Amino acid sequence: MKPLPRWVRAAKQDFGLRAIAALGLLLYLVFIVVPVLMSLRSSFTDENPLQSQSNYIGFANYSEMLHDSELKASLTFTLLLAFGVTVAANAVGLAFATLLNRTQLSYRVLRTVAFLPQVISGVIVGFIWKTIFIEDGLLNNVLMHLGIVGQPVDWLGDPSLAQLSVGIVVAWVLSGFTTVVYLAALQNIPPELYDASSIDGANSRQQFRMITWRMVAPATTISVTISLITVLKLYDIITVLTSGGPAFSTESTAQYIVKVAFTSDQFGYASAIAMALLLLSAVIALSVTNLLRRREVSL
Amino acid sequence: MTVQHTSPPRYAPADPVPTAGSRPRRTPAKKPRKLLSPLRLTFAVLVILLFVSPIYLTIVNAFKSENDIVADPAAPPLHPTLSNLSTALNRPDHLVQLGLRNSLIVVVCSVVLLIPLGSAFSFYISRRRTKLRGVVLAVLAAGLMIPPQVVLLPTIHILTWLGLDHTYPGLILSNLGGGYFSFAVFVYVGFMRAIPDEIVEAARLDGASGLQIWWKIIMPLVRPATATVGIFLSLWIWNDFLNPLFILGPLQGQTITTGLYLSVGQFQMNYGQLFGVMFLAGIIPVAGYLLMQKQFIAGLTAGSTK
Repeated sequence: MKPLPRWVRAAKQDFGLRAIAALGLLLYLVFIVVPVLMSLRSSFTDENPLQSQSNYIGFANYSEMLHDSELKASLTFTLLLAFGVTVAANAVGLAFATLLNRTQLSYRVLRTVAFLPQVISGVIVGFIWKTIFIEDGLLNNVLMHLGIVGQPVDWLGDPSLAQLSVGIVVAWVLSGFTTVVYLAALQNIPPELYDASSIDGANSRQQFRMITWRMVAPATTISVTISLITVLKLYDIITVLTSGGPAFSTESTAQYIVKVAFTSDQFGYASAIAMALLLLSAVIALSVTNLLRRREVSL
Repeated sequence: MTVQHTSPPRYAPADPVPTAGSRPRRTPAKKPRKLLSPLRLTFAVLVILLFVSPIYLTIVNAFKSENDIVADPAAPPLHPTLSNLSTALNRPDHLVQLGLRNSLIVVVCSVVLLIPLGSAFSFYISRRRTKLRGVVLAVLAAGLMIPPQVVLLPTIHILTWLGLDHTYPGLILSNLGGGYFSFAVFVYVGFMRAIPDEIVEAARLDGASGLQIWWKIIMPLVRPATATVGIFLSLWIWNDFLNPLFILGPLQGQTITTGLYLSVGQFQMNYGQLFGVMFLAGIIPVAGYLLMQKQFIAGLTAGSTK
C-alpha cells in the first residue's frame, strides 16, 4: 500500500488540535470581529427595535453626533477622566512602589494589601465609596470632626465635585495595579547602577531622574495604557456611584452608548457613537503606546 | 572547607578575636539606615492602611449593629454581631446564595472552556511563521482594547439569532469569544514561544498527534501560564457587570454583581444589611486572592516586564 502524502498525514495527525484552535478563533470572530462589523453597518441605519425594518440613512447618525451636546459633554468628561486618572494612578503607583521597594516580609505583605482594590468588583467599590461620599457619609464626618469644613460637602451632588469623586475612586482602583507593576520594575533594576552613580556623586534626585525614571519606562507603558483603556471602558463604578449624574456631569461615553441603545432604543445612533468611541480608543491606545515605547528604546 | 586546611594557621585567630579597627569604621555609614528602617516601615504601614481604609470599613461594619455603624463607622466592632450576615443570608429572595451560585457557574464554565481553547490556539499559532503570528496577535490585541459597550448590542443580536439570548449558555458563549480569549492567548503565546522546537519534533517522531503533544507535553510545561490565565479570567468574569446585566437580563436570576446592584437600587437597605451583603459578595474573590497572591503577583510581574 502506498503511504499517504505527507500533508495528508500531517493534517490527520493534527486534526484534533486544529479543530480546537479553529473553534477558539471562530468564537473570537463571532463575538468580537463580527459585532464590530455589525455595529459599523447599523451605524448607517435608523435601526430601532420598535420598528420592524431599518433603512439606510447614510451619514445622518454621524452628523447628528456633531450637534449632540450630551455626547460632547460625555466625551469631554471621559477624556478628562482618562487623563486625570492615568496621571494620578501612575504617580501614586510609582510613589507606593518606591516606598514598598524592600524585600522583607512586612513589605511584601503591604504589597499584597495594596493590590486589594483591584480584586473587588466595581459594583462593590462603587457602593463602598458611595457610603463614604454621601452627605452624611464618612468623609464629611471626618472633615467636620477635624474642623476642615463647617458644613457637609455634597461630594456626589455638585457636578464638578462629583467628577472629582469619580476620578478619585477610579484612580484608587488602578493604583493597586500600578503599584504592583512599578514594584516589579523597580526590583528589576540592578543595584550596581545606584552604587556606581553614588560613587560618581549623584544625589538621590539625580538618581531618580537618571536611573529609576528611565528603568521603569516599560512599566510606565503598561500602566499608562491599561489605565487609559480601563477608563474608556468604565461602566460599573460610575453606574453605582453617580449613575452619570448630577445633570449628566459624570456620564462617560461608554455609558451614554448603553443609554442611547437600551433606554432610547436608538440602535443605529448608538452604533455610530460606538464606532466613534472605538476609533477614539484605538487612536489613544496606539499613539500613547507608540510614544511610550519610543521612550523605552531611546534609553 | 579545603581552604581552611590549606590556609596558614597564623590567620586562624583573626576570627575569634575581633579587631578594633575594621568594625567601628563601618558602623557610622550604616547607622542612619538602621535608624530609618522602623520609621520607614511605620510610614509605609500607615500609608497603605489609609489607602485600603475603604475596604477596612466594609469589613468592620459588616460585623457591627446599625447603631454602632451610624455612631462611628470607622470604629472596630466593639460589640461584634453576625446579625448583618444572617439577615443578608436569610433574605427571602436568596440574593447572596443565588448570586454566588450563578456567578460560580458562569466563571467555572467560562474558564474551563477558555483554557483549552486559548492554549490550543496559542500552541498552533506559536509554531507558525512570525508574519502570520504577528497579524493574528494584532487582531487579538484589538479584543483587549475594544470597549465592551461597542460590541454589546450586536452580541445580543447574535445570541438572539442563536436562540441563546437571556440565557446562561449565551452569557458563557459570549465570554469565550470576547477579550478574555485575547488575554489567554497573549499569556500562553509568551510561554509557548520559549519551548524549544526539539521537544515538539521529538514527540512527533515518536508518532504523537498534535492533540497529544499539546495536551500531554505542552500543557504540563506551561502550568504557570494556566495559573495566570485561570486566576485573572476567574476574577474578571466574576466581577463582570455589564454583560450579565444586559445579556442575562433581570429575569434569569442574578450574578452576585448584578444582584447586589439591582437589589440595593430597588429596596432601601440599611447600612448593616448593605455591608453584610457586600462582605459576603466580596469575600470569595478576596479570599481567593489572598490564598493565591503569589501566583497573582507573579502573573502580573511576568506580564508587565515582558
